[in-house]
Formats: sequence, structure tokens, C-alpha cells
Amino acid sequence: MVRILLKFSEKIVDQPITSQVILEQKTPVNILSARIDQQGGEILAEIALAQAEKVIDAFRKKGVDVVVRKMVEVDKERCFDCGACIALCPVVAITFKDDLSIFFNEAKCIGNTCGLCVDACPARAIKLIG
Amino acid sequence: MSKLTEKAFQQKNKRSITEINEKIKKRDVQVLTVEEMKKLVESSGIEVAFKEVDVVTTGTFGAMCSSGAIINLGHADPPIKIQKAWINDVEVCHPGAAVDLYIGATNMSELRPFEYGGGHIIEELIQGKEVELRATAYGTDCYPRTRLETTITKNDLNQFHLLNFRNCYQRYVCATNSRSETIYTYMGKLLPRFGNATFSGSGALNPLMNDPDYETIGVGTRIFLGGSQGYVIGEGTQHNPENRFGTLMVQGDCKKMSPDFIRGAAYTKYGTTLYLGIGIPIPILNAGVAKKVAIRDEEIFTDIVDYGIPRRDRPKIERVNYKELKSGRITIHDKTVRVSPLSSLKKARVIAEKLKTLIEDTAFYLTAPVERLPTDTTFKPMKQTKEITFVNSLVHTAATCTENEEISAVAQRIIERSVNHIVVVDDQGKLMGIVTSWDITRAVANGKPKLKDIIIRKVVTTTPDKPIDEVARKMAQHHISALPVIDHDRKVLGIITSEDVSKLFGR
Ligand code: SF4
Ligand code: SF4
Repeated sequence: MVRILLKFSEKIVDQPITSQVILEQKTPVNILSARIDQQGGEILAEIALAQAEKVIDAFRKKGVDVVVRKMVEVDKERCFDCGACIALCPVVAITFKDDLSIFFNEAKCIGNTCGLCVDACPARAIKLIG
Repeated sequence: MSKLTEKAFQQKNKRSITEINEKIKKRDVQVLTVEEMKKLVESSGIEVAFKEVDVVTTGTFGAMCSSGAIINLGHADPPIKIQKAWINDVEVCHPGAAVDLYIGATNMSELRPFEYGGGHIIEELIQGKEVELRATAYGTDCYPRTRLETTITKNDLNQFHLLNFRNCYQRYVCATNSRSETIYTYMGKLLPRFGNATFSGSGALNPLMNDPDYETIGVGTRIFLGGSQGYVIGEGTQHNPENRFGTLMVQGDCKKMSPDFIRGAAYTKYGTTLYLGIGIPIPILNAGVAKKVAIRDEEIFTDIVDYGIPRRDRPKIERVNYKELKSGRITIHDKTVRVSPLSSLKKARVIAEKLKTLIEDTAFYLTAPVERLPTDTTFKPMKQTKEITFVNSLVHTAATCTENEEISAVAQRIIERSVNHIVVVDDQGKLMGIVTSWDITRAVANGKPKLKDIIIRKVVTTTPDKPIDEVARKMAQHHISALPVIDHDRKVLGIITSEDVSKLFGR
């Protein structure tokens, strides 16, 4: 599976682009989370690796900005492994390792569509990229 | 000590600090971290653990707000008697003679409040960074200068000492939030409706928890402080031995500290602070001390407290132990709630290990306290000379209407009663919504003359038992100027307006 972040500008946010892509490409797009405001919207989705290239292309053709990379970055120098972020994460992407240091499972994080942990970090070590 | 009393002493204590220090010198000392010691007691019993182990090392690394550093700048020429001073735009206090400043961890930057503060300055100075100093003064015959601007690093300072008046809480509460909104507290970010919980303290790793009767930790105890050595200089403020909420006052030389163990930090919408690492060696003087350091997380209890209620005595919800807290999940009102630590358990462990190595390497000797910490002080609440005002003494009758009334009738009522807010109720007097004179004006201007369409249904409310300060903050946060006062059944009891509040505060 590949995780993609679809960014819709305010111009196209009201169009049923995701459904169109699903129908045209005949492939499921698993929507993990979504967010919308005056500036536009964002959908975090999962697609099968084999179809990834085609689907991403289809979205881009319809004017959607597609981001395929990790969405959260933790500054290991600043992080002091307090764990204040852990219980806030709705998808349990943050856990303690055996040595009690903190582990961010970047593949699980739903990034900008969540962001709950960011302002809870006393070390300001968490950055969302997106 | 005479020969005889010394013998009696030895028999009673079995092992003295002098003996332990002799062993350190000969590199023959047995040191265990507190975690290793607990395992040893579990597997071999207290007697064996006491016989084999001389020293146990503890550790904690957490937010310690009542921290700060005292610095001495040396004299300027012409000299200045500083009245007010700022470092990197953070106002610092001037508690002493001419050029002594105290950098309080919670003092916030005037340009970047809530993000940058005294704790960060202390960390940056320890890192060797340069900071900007600005000061003003009124000028005297002996100190004529009134302005000063310069830069400093730690090497430019005469003294740079951490001087903390409350650190190292024995244990702390677990915080959660009953409100229907996220709140930002000194216990971190708390999600609505018991959505999460936080706790502080390292539990069974904590220094004072392992010496709960303060038998070995006292005034003069040498400790690991921020990566270097420091001293306990007394009981901390709010020291509360009776409830096992003991605290320490500590001091140490910042110039020798390491940013690995002392960090500036920021709590969103609460303020800045300092995370600090403290490690304390506990000499195993007798089997009693050995028994006490064997305490386990499941034996250390604390309360889950509702920080959604901003009163001195916040409601306690349930009891919980540190084993449950460290498991990451607790139960609140029969619901599983995830819980995060605010203190770093990893760093606490690293500190205990580091202190162990320092002792084994003859780089850290133990001291006997010159005086014990008090075991009988109590923590009194503040004496207040003015009664606090509650909503029930300011509430007055609300002008009300029902959903189906004509806008013109409601407008008429606004004029008659000369109010700005009309509370919408059902036929039982229960809250349905609110309309303001502004909403009505706008509706008429936009040609939307149905009352139903303009009622605000999501109403921020209060109850009669709430202090006025809480109401004022609520109005400010939501940018509103009145709150309907309701009872448990959402029945409208009246209204309180920002005018009522400002009249009270203005007095
Ligand atoms: S942004 Fe949200 S999903 Fe990602 S790690 Fe933080 S809390 Fe978890
Ligand atoms: S809250 Fe920040 S400092 Fe604490 S563990 Fe998470 S990322 Fe690290």
C-alpha cells in the first residue's frame, strides 16, 4: 500500500474528483482521513502499490496536488522522550520503544489532517510537513 | 564521637556514609540503580540486598517550573544599579544589589510569549551561546548609568548558578478534563470529555519516593543536577510530607551542566518552563532503608484529578497507581483512557545509570545531610482577605422569548428592557438558544425576518456556583459579552453580562 496526501485547492474542492478517479481507474482508494476549510481540502488515502502510478497520475491530471512522503518529522536532538505526545495520537502512531525512547511510526501518521500531537510537545520537536 | 557511641552507631546503622566513601575511594563500592535494586530485592530478599549494596541511584527528568538561575554580570563602567532587565526580550528579575539577575524559568519572551522563555535562556547559556542583555536604571550618585546593552555568554558571568526553590516532587497527580473543549494546562494538553490523561513524576524511580521519610536526603546532600553536581539546600516550597508530596530546594553550578539534562520547554497556552534532570544517591545505611528503596510502581498511588474545574480543590475522580499510569491506559468512569507521562522515564533511567557510573569512577562522593528535611510541615492554602464572588451573586433576570415569536416583538422587548441579549427558552423555561440585538439588526437589514433563522443554538453557558474569574475568562475566550446561567436541567436561571463583571472588577 502507498499513502498519498491529496491536496485540493479552493477552486476544485467542491468537485467529486476522488469518486471520478475511483470509477475511471476501477481501483479502490481507501480514505483514511479528510479535512476541509476555506482554503481548500486535504484527503489522506491509501492505494495499492501496483496501481499507485496510474492513480496518482489521474489525480494530478484533475488538478490535485499529490504528496507521497512522510508527513511528520521529529527532531531527535530536541525530543527528550517525555511521551507527552503519545496518548493524543488517534491512530497510535507514537509508542515507547523497549528502552523507553519514543518511536513515531511515520507510515501510520495521518499528518496535517490530525496534528494533535504538535502543540502538546514541550520541546517543540514535532513538525508536520505537508 | 567516642569509641563507645561510634560502636553503637555502627550497630544501629550497620553502614555509614564515611564507610561508603572509603569504599568509593578504593573502587570497591557496590552501586545499583534503583531499578536493579528492586529486582535484586525481589529475587533475593531485603537482607541480601542490604548486605550486598552500598548505594542505590535514583533519577527524575521533568518540568520543574520553580527553577531559575542567578547570574552576576560584574560591574559596568560607568556603573549601573539595574532596575529592570531583559535577556533576549525575556524580562528577568533583579532581586539583589546592582548587577545580580535571576532568570526565572517561567518568565516569557515579550516577542514570542508561550514559546520562548527563561528556561530556554538558561539552556542556551549552558550550550555556550551568546544572549543579548538590555537593562534600565534610575541612576544614583554612585551608579549614574541608566541604560545598558550588551551581549553575554556564560564565560562572561561571575556566577551562573541554578537556584531552584521547588523541584523533584515525590509524586504528582494524574490530570484529565471533563469539559467539552480541549484545555491547555501545566499538566499538558487535555482533550475534551476525558479524552486523555497525563501524569508527572517517575514513580518508583523518583528520589524522594525511595526515601519517603527523608532519612538520607537532607540539607547538604550532594546530588546529580542537570549533568553536573549540585546540592540540596532545604525543603522546597509547598513541601508537604504528610501527603507524600515532598519537594526539594536545590542549587548547582550551571557552567558545568549539560543541555542533555537541562532543557527549556514550552507548554502551549500555559507558558514556558525548564525540564531538569536530578539524580540522588541513597546510601543503604540499614535494612530499613533497603526496604524502602524496594518500593514498586504498583505501591505508589495518586489521584486522577479533573483539571476541567479550575478551582483550588479540583475534584478527585479515582485512585490510580504508577504501574497503571506507566502502562499507558487507565480507567476513568469505566472507560479506558490513554495516559501520557510528561516526565521522561528514559532520561530518569539514564540519570540513575550515569550517577552509578560517576560513583564507581570515584567522581562522585556521598555527603551526610547536615540537617534533615522537615517531616511535619503542612501546605496551607492562601489567606484571602476578600471573599470571592460567584455567579449567583451577580446573576439577574434574563429577558426571554420563545422560538415562535415575531422578530418585531423581540426587538420591542430589547428596547423596553434595554438589554442586548434575549435568551430563547421553551415552554418549560429550558435553554434553546440566544439572540443579540446585533443579530436582530442584521436579520432585519438582510431581510431575514424569522426569529427561528437567527437563533444561536450553540450557547456558552455558566452555572450559579462558578467564580466570576472563570466567567470572565470564558467570555474573553469566546469573544462574547453575556452568558445564560442555567441549572442542571438546562433551565434558565438568569443571565450574567460582561458589564456585571467589569463593574465588579472595576470597583
Ligand atoms: S499528527 Fe496525529 S496521527 Fe500524526 S503522530 Fe501526531 S497525533 Fe499521531
Ligand atoms: S512530546 Fe515532544 S519531546 Fe516529548 S516525546 Fe513527544 S516528541 Fe519527544
